[in-house]
Amino acid sequence: MSFVEIKKLVKSFGPEVAVAGIDLSVEQGEFVTLLGPSGCGKTTTLRCIAGLEHPDSGDIQIEGDYVTSVSNEVFLTPEERNLGMVFQSYAVWPHMTVFDNVAYGLRIRRETRAAIKEKTTKALDLVGLGHLAERYATKLSGGQRQRVALARAIVYNPKVVLFDEPLSNLDAKLREHMRIELTRLQHDVGITSIYVTHDQTEALVMSDRVVVMDKGVIQQIGDPESIYAEPTNAFVANFIGVANLMEGKLLGHDGELTDLEIPLGDGRAPIRLRATGAEGAPVGAKIILSIRPEDILLHLEKPAEAMNLIEGEVIDTVYLGNFLDCQVQVGPHEVGVQIDHFEELDTGQKVYLSFTPDHGLCLTE
Amino acid sequence: MATDTAAPQIDVAPPRGWRTWFTQENIITTIVGLIVAVAVIVPLIALVINSFLVLDDLGFDTEWGLQNYREVFQGRVIRKALINTAIISTGCTILATLLGVSLAWINARTNCPFREKLEPFNLIPFFLSPFVGAIAWHNLASPKVGLLNNMAKSIFGISFPLFNVNNLWGVIWVTGIFFAPLVYLFVVGSLRRMDPSLEDSARTTGAGLFRTTMTITLPLVTPAILSGAIIVFVTTAGEFGVPFKLSAPFGWETLTTQIFTKAVGDDANHYLGAAMSMVVGVVTAFFIWVQHRIIAPRSYTTVTGKGFRPNLIDLGGWKWLAFTYNMLYVCVAVFLPIICLFFVSLHKIWSGRIIWSELTFWNYQKVLFFWWPESIQAATNGIINSFILAFGGASIAMVVAIIVSYMIHRTKGFGARLLDFLSVIPIGFPGIVLAMGVLVTYIRTPIYATLWILLLGYITRFFPYGQRNISSIMMAVSEELDQSSRMAGASWLTTLRRITIPLLKPGIFAGWILLFVIFLRELSISIILYSAGTETLSVGVYYLSNFENEPMTSALSIAQTVALLICIVIFRKVAGKEALTA
Repeated sequence: MSFVEIKKLVKSFGPEVAVAGIDLSVEQGEFVTLLGPSGCGKTTTLRCIAGLEHPDSGDIQIEGDYVTSVSNEVFLTPEERNLGMVFQSYAVWPHMTVFDNVAYGLRIRRETRAAIKEKTTKALDLVGLGHLAERYATKLSGGQRQRVALARAIVYNPKVVLFDEPLSNLDAKLREHMRIELTRLQHDVGITSIYVTHDQTEALVMSDRVVVMDKGVIQQIGDPESIYAEPTNAFVANFIGVANLMEGKLLGHDGELTDLEIPLGDGRAPIRLRATGAEGAPVGAKIILSIRPEDILLHLEKPAEAMNLIEGEVIDTVYLGNFLDCQVQVGPHEVGVQIDHFEELDTGQKVYLSFTPDHGLCLTE
Repeated sequence: MATDTAAPQIDVAPPRGWRTWFTQENIITTIVGLIVAVAVIVPLIALVINSFLVLDDLGFDTEWGLQNYREVFQGRVIRKALINTAIISTGCTILATLLGVSLAWINARTNCPFREKLEPFNLIPFFLSPFVGAIAWHNLASPKVGLLNNMAKSIFGISFPLFNVNNLWGVIWVTGIFFAPLVYLFVVGSLRRMDPSLEDSARTTGAGLFRTTMTITLPLVTPAILSGAIIVFVTTAGEFGVPFKLSAPFGWETLTTQIFTKAVGDDANHYLGAAMSMVVGVVTAFFIWVQHRIIAPRSYTTVTGKGFRPNLIDLGGWKWLAFTYNMLYVCVAVFLPIICLFFVSLHKIWSGRIIWSELTFWNYQKVLFFWWPESIQAATNGIINSFILAFGGASIAMVVAIIVSYMIHRTKGFGARLLDFLSVIPIGFPGIVLAMGVLVTYIRTPIYATLWILLLGYITRFFPYGQRNISSIMMAVSEELDQSSRMAGASWLTTLRRITIPLLKPGIFAGWILLFVIFLRELSISIILYSAGTETLSVGVYYLSNFENEPMTSALSIAQTVALLICIVIFRKVAGKEALTA
């Protein structure tokens, strides 16, 4: 039995199914991220855990106790669950000082005056706001409010802290900073965390495990490396980083490697390529080849020998500071390539692309 | 080329956990919701039922029939009252709209001098009692005792009465100047919140100032003007005090004065009164429905709009004309009536002219000194009762308003929609109509002839005003502030007490004072529901006007006006300048 167990969770709003039967377990001390585009059901899942939504069916257990069980008619109110939550809007109460905001949960729990003082001060120091304790929340910057919300959520040592896109209202630089700080804090405090975001970088940098969701269903669960390197389907491959996806046909297996062909249409011969993945799929099956832009090599002249050579025409190049983003037309496909050697590329220029088989991943539907 | 992963279709079993339903939140909101539903709906149903009961000639038994409605539309007296009501409402709407729009434009969009100083005075009539306004104008401009007429006579030697307000024109005049702020409030907000680039665009395409005002500015505020006009029309149709004082004694009855005679008095006939109330109520409810569903949604300026700095128009030399116009309005609507009442109240007998040697505060002793045996009971009772009702009523109504707003904005489902609907209904029915419903509902219960029935009538009719004050703030406050408190371990009630209510405090206080003001001057509900011992301030004024004399009436009117003016000052301190113009 895991620390948090979600079984067959379903929640719909009218005719719209937001969460369509989710199973998820989270271990104690783990940092798990629910990642997906807006409307994928990640926030609804989080709010069901919080007790802010009544699911239509399914069970949620925390530390072995049911907090929600539709079949057993169990539903603990949010305040009975002993969780902490950081909201997207921070939700720092404007009519209280920073100290009162953070101390609120302790006062509700009727802790002694001394304990309240000590724990609140400690939590504020932890987020680096000790010097602002007496200030009113309206006088704080976005980043500071975020820290107050964080301190408020962890101060009474809840079983789980829930994060609902807490960094999405911050500007890019501050977001990066807070991301690092949050990770450090989570490791120091060791509190079980469930984090919702649509930002894949955030998910990959911070989490022990990432849960990719779409259309109310879990698409893949895994640690950040495996989610990035071994997406199990086209949605995950596309959503995590920018992947080039091309539809093709499986030709056969050769040990670890997979042979495939990508049709180019217009009577042109299909290109034959070698990649990995799709181990179980039969010959002739429809597959999707996923290659990340940074894994593709671009050649101006046809190289003497190269694996998986593809011919194409430059459509567009965009200078992005530390690299160049180049779009190459290959038959009906537009292939994105990231290059860090700055050649002069003209639109319409003929170029050659190549990649090693271990960078190409075949996905079945 | 991402392939779609279809969401599996799941048959969702309906939620079964009824035992999990019993939470603080559900229990309290359901109880309050049910009370509101009963309080609002039952009187209206009773009104419908009673309107179809016909009293027989002996006045003891009733039978079902349409005779009451036949009487309303065909009976000579009531049909004439119906026509008079239509004339007054139309006339007042035109006058109030002209005044309200022009004053709003002058104050919001021109460089009229002293406009910041004048603006609050433009709004004062909104808070005062139109009934008292009618009493004042009766003393200013009735043919015999009118101060203005007598001054015209003694200064210019004009022998015939220059003014006469004892007719429909007088009613239109007084209601018009008193309800102009309603239009003003609707329009001034729209004018201030308008994006100035809309007008700038017109100017850059070559339209002149006048043309821009006519083709861009005014059309943009048309929905606001229409909303204000409809509210004025409905308010006038339900206005009792003004026609009762000015025109009814001279043969110009309206539906409201007729309803009054059927509710109390010797030839009381509640069933006929109910039928008349139905006619008024159906018309006003229809207009309010039109305003809510058709006009308000078409408003071009939104409440959530940014704080624009509107374009100000330089009137040049005309600005002094605008200033004079504004001053004139404030004079006839505020200063003249109050000054006149004050002088009348200082005489033992009012003969239409100020007699400096005979000024006395004796009238004030008669109507205010409740400990004095010779004081007039109806007046002194009225003062005490009105303060009890205003204090208790405003407090209870705001509690109801908070819970109702909470349900509308923080819960989903049928209950929220029902309450949203229920809190519009009372606005659609004039006080006198709703009071008639309350009367026929509770006349056989112990609360009849007590202050409780008045309290019930007040709250039922006016809690939506408080609810709107709360709702506008609640919409601006993030729901996550409440939810964080729940997550931190606070119960629903604790959250309400420590987070929700403190955040709503400005709205609660502003709403409370607004209701306090409304209850302190309330006439048309009180006049139907009061009985000996439960008079209110306005009923006291009515009593003095009917059974005593003008000076005593004026004294109590001045007392009421002073109390209301104090409330206005507090209201402006608490709610700020923009509070009413939302």
